[in-house]
Amino acid sequence: MPAPAIHVQDLSKTFNVPVREAGVKAALRSLFKREHRDVKAVEAVSFDVSPGEIVGFLGPNGAGKTTTLKMLSGLLHPTGGTAKVLGHVPFRREKDYLSKITLVMGQRNQLVWDIPVVDSFERNRAIYRMDAGEYRKMLDEMTDLLDLGPLLQKPTRNLSLGERMKCEIAVSLLHKPQVLFLDEPTIGLDVTMQRRIRSFIQEYNRSTGATVLLTSHYMADVEALCKRVIIIHHGKILFDGDLSELVQQFSAYKTITIDLEEMDGINFTRFGEVVEIEGLQVKIRVPKADTPRITGEILAELTIQDLTVEDPPIEEIIDRVFSQTEIELEKE
Amino acid sequence: MTDFLNLYKAFLRISTTMMIQYRASGLIWMIGAVLDPIIFLVVWSVAARASGGTVGGMAPSDFAAYYIVLMLVNHLTFTWIMEVFQYRVQYGNFNAELLRPVHPIHMDIADNIAYKLVMTVVMIPAVVICVWLFEPNFVFIPWALAAALPAVLLAFLVRFFLEWTLALVTFWTTRTQAINRTYFGVLMFMSGRVAPIALLPGILQDVTSVLPFYYMVAFPVELAVGRLSPAEAMDGFMIQILWLAAALGIITSTWRFALKRFSAVGG
Amino acid sequence: MLRLMAVFFRLGMLNELAYRANFWVQTFESLINAIMVLGAVGVVFSQTNTLGDWMVWELTALCGVYFIMLGGINMILSPSLSQFIDDVRQGTLDFTLTKPEDAQLLVSISRVQMWKLLDVMLGIGVVGYAVRQLGDQISWTDASLFGVSLLLGGIIVYSFWIMLATLAFWFIRVENIFFIFWSMYNAGRWPVTIYPGWLKWILTAIVPIAFAVTVPAEAIAGRLSIDTLWLAVGLAGVLLVASRQFWKFGVKHYAGASA
Repeated sequence: MPAPAIHVQDLSKTFNVPVREAGVKAALRSLFKREHRDVKAVEAVSFDVSPGEIVGFLGPNGAGKTTTLKMLSGLLHPTGGTAKVLGHVPFRREKDYLSKITLVMGQRNQLVWDIPVVDSFERNRAIYRMDAGEYRKMLDEMTDLLDLGPLLQKPTRNLSLGERMKCEIAVSLLHKPQVLFLDEPTIGLDVTMQRRIRSFIQEYNRSTGATVLLTSHYMADVEALCKRVIIIHHGKILFDGDLSELVQQFSAYKTITIDLEEMDGINFTRFGEVVEIEGLQVKIRVPKADTPRITGEILAELTIQDLTVEDPPIEEIIDRVFSQTEIELEKE
Repeated sequence: MTDFLNLYKAFLRISTTMMIQYRASGLIWMIGAVLDPIIFLVVWSVAARASGGTVGGMAPSDFAAYYIVLMLVNHLTFTWIMEVFQYRVQYGNFNAELLRPVHPIHMDIADNIAYKLVMTVVMIPAVVICVWLFEPNFVFIPWALAAALPAVLLAFLVRFFLEWTLALVTFWTTRTQAINRTYFGVLMFMSGRVAPIALLPGILQDVTSVLPFYYMVAFPVELAVGRLSPAEAMDGFMIQILWLAAALGIITSTWRFALKRFSAVGG
Repeated sequence: MLRLMAVFFRLGMLNELAYRANFWVQTFESLINAIMVLGAVGVVFSQTNTLGDWMVWELTALCGVYFIMLGGINMILSPSLSQFIDDVRQGTLDFTLTKPEDAQLLVSISRVQMWKLLDVMLGIGVVGYAVRQLGDQISWTDASLFGVSLLLGGIIVYSFWIMLATLAFWFIRVENIFFIFWSMYNAGRWPVTIYPGWLKWILTAIVPIAFAVTVPAEAIAGRLSIDTLWLAVGLAGVLLVASRQFWKFGVKHYAGASA
């Protein structure tokens, strides 16, 4: 098995943050005594990513996704554990390492605000020491794939959010990085643009074999791009594996959707929990283990037009994963 | 009237809390406010010593008195509204300020007073230390000192209103830097900061007695230091009051124009 | 490193050239500034013949150096380091830190305000004029010493500015920290030698205005002592190294490295 592109072992990060309160008295007090407390952003996280994989990090705000990403891109020093990306130790910030990675942060731009987009490109070209030929080639490719033509000469501040994100992605991939760290790249974009960006990333991954680490709280990002998902909450990994596995492991229920010809007088609650009734359609939630039996009962007792058995939407599953963790933590 | 006072009390409370938060910025500003007069104090003292002890009839100790009082008066009358106004309108939420049932100038006055209140912590020791270091020759004339207090208040009002008016220029142009620079340059010379007015070339002296700048800083200073005769003081007050009236007129009409302009052009 | 600087400068320049109006605005501002500074000298010298032991044209040369430094700082240092402080606050510094190029370099030259060059040229013009008035007293040694001391002054000012900027890693609200420098820089319009001891010391050792303005002025006026020159060399070296170490320390702190 080839060496992993990313190897993380027991990685931890604890922040020491000052505690502040409101009010004049507290403000004056803080002049003399500063209180601090420890925040465990990431706790003993371990995983390996193979070259060419696209991995999605899911978790609510403050879960530790961005902190993990920052440790892997060399921006933060871990407080414990080890990390290796492409054989380098990220926080050593070796030039060789930095020229192989790229960081994209949704809602933050590395494009220079007041100058034409193409000038920002030129800037990166100089920094990454690209020669004219390869720069030209990449620029043309991206202009084609992302429709950048009319945007290149405009100053960044004159672009719409979606246009800016397109250019932002383009400028970060100019130097053909082997590892992409994407932190909420589609946040705030409209649906069309989100799809555009996703397909571009997919294409880049396919043609260059680059490894992609993506954080998001949009399920659609993850469903579209990632086979593998890592769920983080309160700095710990709750799940690491295929999306389909996630459903298997965490959903204890299935949803049966029945389309009927008539509804009068039928009590659906004896089959399971009624989720929704709309027109002639009923959705019932049943425990996974009982699904075959209940399906049989429904088919036998009712006259149905159509019957579907589905997993609950992934958001619901993940929500459940999170709330389970909350309950467990509260018990502690 | 009581409503008004309550409003100011509330504003002052907020501004003072904010000022304590921004104390570092304030301290940084104070460095300049204290250093600037000291520089000219030293320059003129050196010039005096090189010219046989006095220059323009003033000895180093006279310059010390003049500039230490100037430091205090300038601190009490200065505003920073011109520097920040453009930023406020362009990037801030000026719309919100306009929607309040209170003229935005009141918050600015409160901020200004709060700054000066909090920074007395620095100003008073600074004055004391300067007195110790430079051995000024203070001439204590009771009526002059008493007169200086209202003169400072009037000076503050004239300066505040005129600078607030100039700040409104931002509604018509983005070149506020250039305008601010020019104003500041003129102010330095004509308000007695580069040199006591008496030391300026003759033509400038005549011009200064008519323009408002002298009355923003130098007039109260010269009163307090005892360089003005009762007659000169009376004349000075009259012109100060005239300029205050003018400033009020200018600010109210400019504000009206500015509002029209702002609603036409937008934020 | 020079190659990168050239690229940044070119990009900054190209961008500014598009705004011709700024050229006129800058010309206007520079002129106003010049009138203010030289006007003050004029007023002083209307009342006296010497200041300290400086004659009027020597003082004029000093003002010229004041403008040269002013222009230089405002052209590159001030805009770039202000941008850096903003980047720290907004979190966009992360982009700079993931680039395969020295962060300190990137941060120091990231923005160029080309029209500030006019201040530099104004300064050179003023110095040239003053030198002409001073006549044959100025030799070629003086001129080369002038160049050297300007360079040393530049290095010292740069080190000081980058040290101030590095504080942004610890304190969030440092946008007007450079104001400290500018307040002191005002004192540089006059020879540092006229100030009382404690102020002279502050302007030499703490905020190095003396080496930025007075020393090069002394050089071109032919009054530079060799001791001062060696002091400048020493200080430039020490500050350059110290600022670099401080910067590296700041980056480490930003990354949350313990120690």
